[in-house]
Amino acid sequence: MTNKTQLTIRTEQDEKAIILCLAGRVDGTNANVLDEAVREKIDAGQPVLLFDFDELEYISSAGLRVLLLAARRMQAAKGKTLFCGLSEQIAEVFRVSGFDHILPVFGTRSEALATV
Amino acid sequence: MGATRLLMVDDEEDLELLVRQRFRRRIRKGEYEFLFAHNGKEALEALDQNPDIRLVLSDINMPVMDGLTLLGQLEETKPDVKAVIISAYGDMENIRTAMNRGAFDFVTKPVDFNDLQITIEKTLKHINALEQALKNRDRLVAIRRELDVAKQVQLSGVPAELPVGDAFGVHAIMNPAKEIGGDFYDFFELDEHRLGLAIADVSDKGVPAALFTMITRALLKSSSRRHDSPSRCLHEVNEFLCQDNDACMFVTVFYGVLDLRDGSFRYSNGGHNPPRHLAAGGAVSELPLTGDFALGIADGHDFGENVVTVVPGDALFLYTDGITEACNHQLDEYGEQRLDGVLGGGAPMNAQELAELVVGSVERFVDGATQFDDITCLSLRLRSPSGSAGADGSQ
Repeated sequence: MTNKTQLTIRTEQDEKAIILCLAGRVDGTNANVLDEAVREKIDAGQPVLLFDFDELEYISSAGLRVLLLAARRMQAAKGKTLFCGLSEQIAEVFRVSGFDHILPVFGTRSEALATV
Repeated sequence: MGATRLLMVDDEEDLELLVRQRFRRRIRKGEYEFLFAHNGKEALEALDQNPDIRLVLSDINMPVMDGLTLLGQLEETKPDVKAVIISAYGDMENIRTAMNRGAFDFVTKPVDFNDLQITIEKTLKHINALEQALKNRDRLVAIRRELDVAKQVQLSGVPAELPVGDAFGVHAIMNPAKEIGGDFYDFFELDEHRLGLAIADVSDKGVPAALFTMITRALLKSSSRRHDSPSRCLHEVNEFLCQDNDACMFVTVFYGVLDLRDGSFRYSNGGHNPPRHLAAGGAVSELPLTGDFALGIADGHDFGENVVTVVPGDALFLYTDGITEACNHQLDEYGEQRLDGVLGGGAPMNAQELAELVVGSVERFVDGATQFDDITCLSLRLRSPSGSAGADGSQ
């Protein structure tokens, strides 16, 4: 396996939000890894979760489901889930599946954080 | 259950007598059966002849092959045999070595038989737990096999035979990935002049996805009989799927109704990859999205609808992202450009040739790399009245 198949999740703590920077690919083989990482953050009681997709190359529908679960859980905890840095391809996935109607998507981090 | 057989390895003959004496009650009751060996070599031979023995009680200092060498051999060749070392109290250095070579426990000489008894029971318990774990693993393998059955169920969830009409040809291909996936397609005649076409992709893999797939297919089929409007059908299916959907599973669904009388194709797209319209002249166009999203995500949504006109000689091509996102060894994606290139290739083909052409092209591109997603497509070609455009594929 080359690096391209792997998913790396880096966490940054901003004063307003916890930022999850995803790099590589999210697909059926590693969606559960992302799910666990996200759960951990939500359980820690973060009020705002920002996904930064700047280095993300691909996300499958199994990955989208994890994002949806995250947004639902955050909503239940009265928190917010935001997304930024979508590549053209990932923006297309969001557009076709209609996720851009449901999840708040921003161009950049600062644009996303400005809404908090 | 028969007696548990234990192998005692010691070069002192009188230990054998002692053991028979001290454990006589358990031996008589048929709980234990002792075998004796006098050095490591004899022990290995005894184990070869009695593969049911799981526990060895061994001295360290023995002629021919000592206990430490025996342990090394056991670790290499008989990993499921556990050893308890019996050695002089002052021999702590050897006992440490034995433990490092995988001995499960030790007792010291002179032997306290109560302690030995407890140690034997404790070790046997551990061995049983290990065996149980192995059995569980075997059970998992069996479940895997059941999953293969579930895969068959899934494959039987698509129409076994597609209807044949004078005015159209239709063909579908579904190549499931290794894991049970969540693609389905459907094609049915609503009445003598209206055809329903559907394709869908569930967000996950495995048995839950397969079940979600089957539910969606059944709901859509049922809705299609009650409502003429595809958007109304998707609305209804979505409302059902959103109930108690804690797992956040969702499904992208494209559903359209083709009226053979006027060639109108009315559809609604719940977050699925836009199908292609192939004009008889060769032009390929996407069927525009209807501004909707995948089903199972949010209830109360009113789905949109579009209409395009399909004329004789035209084709429709529905597919799942298993085609466009199929990867080769370099992890490059097949992509929509390649798909459109193949679809617009020019040669007039019937529905079957069209579907086979695309799947063949994907297979050549992928070149044997692991398939992560189901590859599913459904093609329909309206026959030209004269058959002159080759629309029915007559050779």
